[in-house]
Amino acid sequence: MAHKILFRPTLVLTLTFHKTPFSVSYHPFRRSQQQPFSFLNTHPTARTTNNTHTHLWCSNFSTTTTTEGSEKCYLYLTDEDLMRQCEMGTFKSSGPGGQHRNKRESAVRLKHLPTGIIAQASEDRSQHKNRASALSRLRSLIALKVRKTVDLDPYSPPRELLQILPPKSSIRGSDCGPQIGPNNPRFALGMQALLDLVFAVEGSVSDAAKYLGLSTGALSRLILSDDSLRKEVNDLRASKGMKPLK
Amino acid sequence: MKLTLSSVYRPHSFPKLLNCSSFGILGRPFCSSALSSSPTCVKPQVPLFLRPPIYSTKLCDLKKWHDWAKGVSLSIGSTFVQSDNGADSNMLCRELKWLMEDAVEDHSLGMEDDDRVKMRIDIEELYCLWTQRVQERRPFQYVVGCEHWRDLVLSVQEGVLIPRPETELVVDFVSDVVSENEDLRSGVWADLGTGSGALAIGICGVLGSEGGRVIATDLSPVAVAVATYNVQRYCLQDKIDLREGSWFEPLKDMEGKLAGLVSNPPYIPSEDISGLQAEVGRHEPRLALDGGIEGMDALHHLCVGAALMLKPGGFFAFETNGEQQCCALVDYIKSRSGRSFCNLEIRADFAGIQRFVIGFHQ
Repeated sequence: MAHKILFRPTLVLTLTFHKTPFSVSYHPFRRSQQQPFSFLNTHPTARTTNNTHTHLWCSNFSTTTTTEGSEKCYLYLTDEDLMRQCEMGTFKSSGPGGQHRNKRESAVRLKHLPTGIIAQASEDRSQHKNRASALSRLRSLIALKVRKTVDLDPYSPPRELLQILPPKSSIRGSDCGPQIGPNNPRFALGMQALLDLVFAVEGSVSDAAKYLGLSTGALSRLILSDDSLRKEVNDLRASKGMKPLK
Repeated sequence: MKLTLSSVYRPHSFPKLLNCSSFGILGRPFCSSALSSSPTCVKPQVPLFLRPPIYSTKLCDLKKWHDWAKGVSLSIGSTFVQSDNGADSNMLCRELKWLMEDAVEDHSLGMEDDDRVKMRIDIEELYCLWTQRVQERRPFQYVVGCEHWRDLVLSVQEGVLIPRPETELVVDFVSDVVSENEDLRSGVWADLGTGSGALAIGICGVLGSEGGRVIATDLSPVAVAVATYNVQRYCLQDKIDLREGSWFEPLKDMEGKLAGLVSNPPYIPSEDISGLQAEVGRHEPRLALDGGIEGMDALHHLCVGAALMLKPGGFFAFETNGEQQCCALVDYIKSRSGRSFCNLEIRADFAGIQRFVIGFHQ
């Protein structure tokens, strides 16, 4: 990417365009989200990259501070506010662009300035939708890469974490609703809190399981249910000389 | 679709009459009404993805076509990239996937080879379409009859410029302006040379249901027909008024009344047309691309017209060929009608190219 410009807040409005009452009439034309034939999926065009190999510690958001708002980390921001923290660019296009070109270079690259995390998307025909996909990927990457310090004595897991736990967890109240799986956008928040805990217990799944009222096996299964979550946990365990979860 | 001098020069319609760059008195069209007044009835094509799934084919035949088309795409390598900066194999394969999405009705998984797939087009015709795409360099958007632009899916066909991603930003500029100015939000906006109607529909969206309306003009009957189709598809016929004619010609009743004016006019210098990417140069309407010798004929006309048509405080945004053309346009505005406008600004597109000139009427 050769050129970047700062993402301007005004653009953010368009992200939620389809949610405004005005565009109710757009609904009949919304495209099917169904998966196309599997034999077509031979050209993966979506990539999620990040250039940070180390975890970023978000110490300002330590759970010991309880002032309203200070516990909020990037994932609690609205799409608009998160986008304001990003620099957006399209991919390098050679030549003059505009009317000169017919190339669906609708790929979008977002750089989250506070953390340096980069997310991109190019699978859709519309730059607009790619922007939304990139933002959702950015949320997952932030969940994976930005760590908060956790107070273990006493440990009180945030609601988002309880919601991704299986119902058999002894600390999960019935008011948490059904278990949220990896495909739910809210999974990222729970995953971030889970990783915070796993980091706090230095990669020990059995220790983390105790804090969550789960068996070691049940927590392992939860961690293994999401590829990126598993990778983060296993990277941490490898750095501590522990065996990977399988 | 837009009017360019060169198109006006077309020998059969206008022999050398307008061979000077001054556009004469504003409000007076620089094309003869004979060019646009013939009541041709153009029937817009239905985009592939909206056609009824009345065809069916065996999954194995569809796979066979897909493998053939993929082979054709892969054989291109970077040939087009080298010849005129066209699509490479990867891009073609991606387009192939999108063509499948539009052509096939049900995308259910796990079917047997002999199962029948519901299609919106005959399988034989898919072979023709992909041949056109690769051999004739027919733009993919014309092949499927639509373009995804912002959160819209717009019908396009030969004779209508395919809206570009760059132009999406113009709607954001308008959104920005009307978010802090209720007077402009509820006013009348104009999109000149609307083509597929992309800007008019996008702007109607940011004005909101309580906001003002949009007048969209185009010289080309095909463009007006396609834009009408798109406007109806988004149920905006009460908000968007389509008028056939050259630039300001259909707007005589709006003198001094417009809250805003936007346009993506033809801006490519005539001498660059022959070197364009084949998809653009061979297939898209020259009327919408060729901006005359410097590429600025239409832009000049628009700027002069903006001073007359905009109400005090009214906003304008024009897309340009980029960089020097932006500077030249700002200079032109300052020298020609400097006191009419304020807050002139040049804005970049997402590739970082200085692309747009925006400003306000005094």
